[in-house]
Amino acid sequence: MMPVGEQRWEMLERIGAYAAGELEGEEAREVERLLFERPEYRRLAESYARMLVMLTTLGNEPVEAPEAVVGYAVRRAHVLAFMRSAEVFVGALGRSYIDAFVYYLGLRRESYGGGT
Amino acid sequence: MLLQEHSGLVYRVALRILGAEDAQDASQEVWIRVWRNIKNFRGDSAFSTWLYRITVNTCLSVHRKESRRGEREYSGEEMPFLPEPPGGDADPEAAALGAEQREEIQAALGHVRAEHRAALVLRHMEGLSYAQIAQVLEVPDGTAKGWVSRGRAAMLVALAEENHGAGGTAG
Repeated sequence: MMPVGEQRWEMLERIGAYAAGELEGEEAREVERLLFERPEYRRLAESYARMLVMLTTLGNEPVEAPEAVVGYAVRRAHVLAFMRSAEVFVGALGRSYIDAFVYYLGLRRESYGGGT
Repeated sequence: MLLQEHSGLVYRVALRILGAEDAQDASQEVWIRVWRNIKNFRGDSAFSTWLYRITVNTCLSVHRKESRRGEREYSGEEMPFLPEPPGGDADPEAAALGAEQREEIQAALGHVRAEHRAALVLRHMEGLSYAQIAQVLEVPDGTAKGWVSRGRAAMLVALAEENHGAGGTAG
């Protein structure tokens, strides 16, 4: 048998799901029966409905990120773009040096410029 | 531009999950992670889902670093009721949130377990479907649904506690 606290919690969640319009069919009818029979459950469903309206209202209010956040994000994007370009540039430069060094040591048979 | 289009989403979600104090730092951390990982974004999911995932993960890791705020325990002895607005539920004035209510909502959110809070914010404030929430939180659909359900109940308990002075809970 479920402890009273757990039973109440389960009922709390069920009525919450009903208030949020997430119950269907027999489950919804069962909760409606309870709401009809028990005024405290009815009051609970009303409280849920009130809370959900508040959450939705607050959620629909436009929120703009502070200038500091946007500015920081833009700076990070620029730094990242610079680092990526630098990485590509240094990588290409390094490869060229290695190629030149390999050619200088004569480790590669074919020569640059289509020589002998 | 990508950033201008989505900076509001990142900050808004961080604000709801962490509160005003930590939202700015968390948002900056999100953008560091976004730029670092953007080359790994393969387009398997929508960009916004990917961004939600990074934002929520960042917020949850920030939350783990800070000392855990007290999660409200529900004794089961009292029903968590919210007071009826003075003009009744049908009053359009009642639908507009005052500064005090905003503070109460934010404070109550702070008393919901972090994962449940994230799920609740995504569902009831961001309007995501359970499938999207499951993708963002990288959990099965059933878990996402359970977290929203628990978050919703815990939020009502916490909000009723916040309203206690105004007769929030009843036996």
